[in-house]
Amino acid sequence: MSRLGGSINANQAGDQPADAKPTASLVLQELTDCLDAVHQCLEGNGGEIVYIATLVDTSLLLRDLIRPLTGAEPSELRTKLGAAPYRLTKDMNSCLSGITNGAVAIFAGEDAYLLDLSKKIGRTIEQTETETLITGPHDGFVESLDENLGVIRRRLRSAKLKSVGFEAGEISKTQIVMLYIEGIVNMEFVTLLSERIRSIEIDGVSDSNMLVQLIDENPNSVFPQYLTTERPDAVVSKLLGGRIAVLMDGSPSAFISPTSFLEFFASPDDYYQRWPIGTGLRVLRLIGFIITICFTAFYVSVTTFHYELIPHTMLLNLAESRSKVPFPPLIEALLMETTIELLREAGARLPTKIGQTIGIVGGIVIGQAAVQAGFTSNILIIAVATSAIASFVIPSYIMSASIRLIRFGLIVLAGLLGNLGLFMGIGLMVIHMAGITNLGTSYLSPIAPMRPSDLLDTLIRGPFWALKTRPTLSRSPNQVRTRPKQ
Amino acid sequence: MREKLNVLHIALLLFMIESDVAVFILPRLTAANFGTNGWLGFIALSLVAAFNIFMYRIVYRMGGGRSVFDIAEAAAPRAVLYPFYAALALLWLGLGAFIGKTYVLIFQMLSFQNSQPMLIYVLYCVLVLTLLTKSLYSIAKASTVFFFMASWLVLLLPYFFKSWSAVRFTTSFFQGAVEGHHLGGFLEVFAAFIGYELCMFLFPHTDAKSKLFTGVFVGHFLFTAVNLLAMVMCFGFFSFEEIKRLEFPIIYMHEFVELSFLNRVDSLVYPFFSFYSLISTVMFGYAALKSIGRMLPKVSDRRLALPVTGAIFLLGFIPSIFREAGTWLKLVFTIETGVAFGMPLILIVMLKLGKKAKGA
Repeated sequence: MSRLGGSINANQAGDQPADAKPTASLVLQELTDCLDAVHQCLEGNGGEIVYIATLVDTSLLLRDLIRPLTGAEPSELRTKLGAAPYRLTKDMNSCLSGITNGAVAIFAGEDAYLLDLSKKIGRTIEQTETETLITGPHDGFVESLDENLGVIRRRLRSAKLKSVGFEAGEISKTQIVMLYIEGIVNMEFVTLLSERIRSIEIDGVSDSNMLVQLIDENPNSVFPQYLTTERPDAVVSKLLGGRIAVLMDGSPSAFISPTSFLEFFASPDDYYQRWPIGTGLRVLRLIGFIITICFTAFYVSVTTFHYELIPHTMLLNLAESRSKVPFPPLIEALLMETTIELLREAGARLPTKIGQTIGIVGGIVIGQAAVQAGFTSNILIIAVATSAIASFVIPSYIMSASIRLIRFGLIVLAGLLGNLGLFMGIGLMVIHMAGITNLGTSYLSPIAPMRPSDLLDTLIRGPFWALKTRPTLSRSPNQVRTRPKQ
Repeated sequence: MREKLNVLHIALLLFMIESDVAVFILPRLTAANFGTNGWLGFIALSLVAAFNIFMYRIVYRMGGGRSVFDIAEAAAPRAVLYPFYAALALLWLGLGAFIGKTYVLIFQMLSFQNSQPMLIYVLYCVLVLTLLTKSLYSIAKASTVFFFMASWLVLLLPYFFKSWSAVRFTTSFFQGAVEGHHLGGFLEVFAAFIGYELCMFLFPHTDAKSKLFTGVFVGHFLFTAVNLLAMVMCFGFFSFEEIKRLEFPIIYMHEFVELSFLNRVDSLVYPFFSFYSLISTVMFGYAALKSIGRMLPKVSDRRLALPVTGAIFLLGFIPSIFREAGTWLKLVFTIETGVAFGMPLILIVMLKLGKKAKGA
């Protein structure tokens, strides 16, 4: 892991050799200029403790360490430290690693011990803001890895649920946990993903959405290749489907692999509704996807090259609406799409209290005032607004953002070559997706390769009695999910 | 974890290869070359093509799934084969280029009369390049999606029923062919099937599970069925004399569609056919790439994709108007028909020679 050269210091022990015997002075030397590093002496036995105050629970420190050890004879101190919960640390690297993870280092004579007294920092489990549901569980992941692991363990009370730990980030030393269900997951995927995570060489990783970009097979693609979610129920459902989930400390998102393009349009909500409703919602989202990428581009294509496509009655309205606009349809559409993206971005950045302002201002810019000013046509406003609404029905925010970006390319192509440009743009998108793989599986599955049984749980949400097998994509050694009633 | 092509991929890929610009003019070609109820002649030619596919199956069986290059090189020295590889590569590049350029010229004629067709063709070649840089498996995946994207066009069929009449079929058969019945005319119609011979390039990408030839036959007969349906619609929609005179009967038929929110869907339907032409061009480009790659074993396929696409682009300059493109296309399709029939015969002989050489 310490193969990086240059500025990144991979060794926790800094200037000291990693395997040097830890002493209070050496540790303090490493923690120079750390305001929150504390060094204290234990009364009556010459023991010293070093810890980082901001990571340690001070009430526990007082109760479990200072009170029991203060005043103890040196021999008694050694005896106490030799038993649980104290653990001996023999090298500087592990000693410093323990301290930076919230442990207290105790130095007695020539030996050093660690006692984990880390305090919980951050939110407790609460509702996710990016993936809200109407029915179903409302808990979402938070930034604490332990909390997140706990909510999954509470849902899957089986020893078959395995959690394998990794560390990423030469400086951040971020903890990563890979989850899978033994006997259901394809172990080749586990090995492949483990290798990928181990091979990450970077100074620090801040979020799962950043982590996935370091391990995906097509780093230059606009499309997300790992499904990220903040919902424990979604993770559990995917684990049962033979997938692998990865959690990262400090990130409220888990990522799931292998996954395919169509899975970004599914929401856990679909399973909590009756299946015809769930199916209707899935189809609606796919229609939303088509509207997002095509609607404005189609407007540009029709108004630039293919007026013959519009029926006579609609054509009059369209011509009247366009008559005051001084720009060609391509410029008009790009202006409006950019404006709506500005509004969306401003809405995302502004604090909630002044967020309403954006709604009011947006109503003016994307509204009748813009039409009266001769800036745009009524019909384009409807097209742009419909595209924007359609983009928000896509459950994955990351995918929604990707699709919105693609829309601009299609608008330009439609403005240059009409319907042919639009279709060639879509063709380019399909060709690009055909080349994307996730752990070697096809991104276009279950359409290409065609897996009719998997279509039941991607294009539509089939009834539970029909979802008898796990998705083929997971290449699970145990395909049977439910057994028919005898 | 590399996946092999499966039977559905193969069937749809073959359907997409066989479908190209020829389908727009197929009703006219069958009417002009076979006469009344010419669509029956189309069925007969489909069976001839199926027999040719069967010959490739014999090669596949005899060769044990080996690539055609391996079969050839086991029987003859490379120095003798290289000129043939080069000639075939040129033919396939020409086929890919002329199919693409013809498509672009038809589109220019319909919607972009004032545009420079080579500008549209550049974009077409960009798509060709992006596919050629990918593996055959990815090409098959893309063609599967393209197939389903264009399959909704079938939903337009009921619209033609109200103007369709069985009376237009007449009770006479094969009467009124423009220049009588002759081999040249039949070859012109047979060109619609050209592309199935590329199944020989799928040999190394399949195994026993792939059911290669089941897929090839399914794809071929699906193509026959879809085009037969389109022809039957055309023969019942237009009169026989009209079909013989209309340049693109299939496109003109779509001009009559008037929905409450869309009129004249031809300009919406035609771009969908770009995917058919694209896959045909790409697969002929792929065949050329493999042939050139065999002569330059140290150069990877990915590196060859750009020069191959460049050649397809440059060959696109040769026909500048639709009539010229049609003439060139007819020429290369005729040569390719000869290659399609000759290739399995030559390969069977080579397999025998290869066996003898091994035995000796």
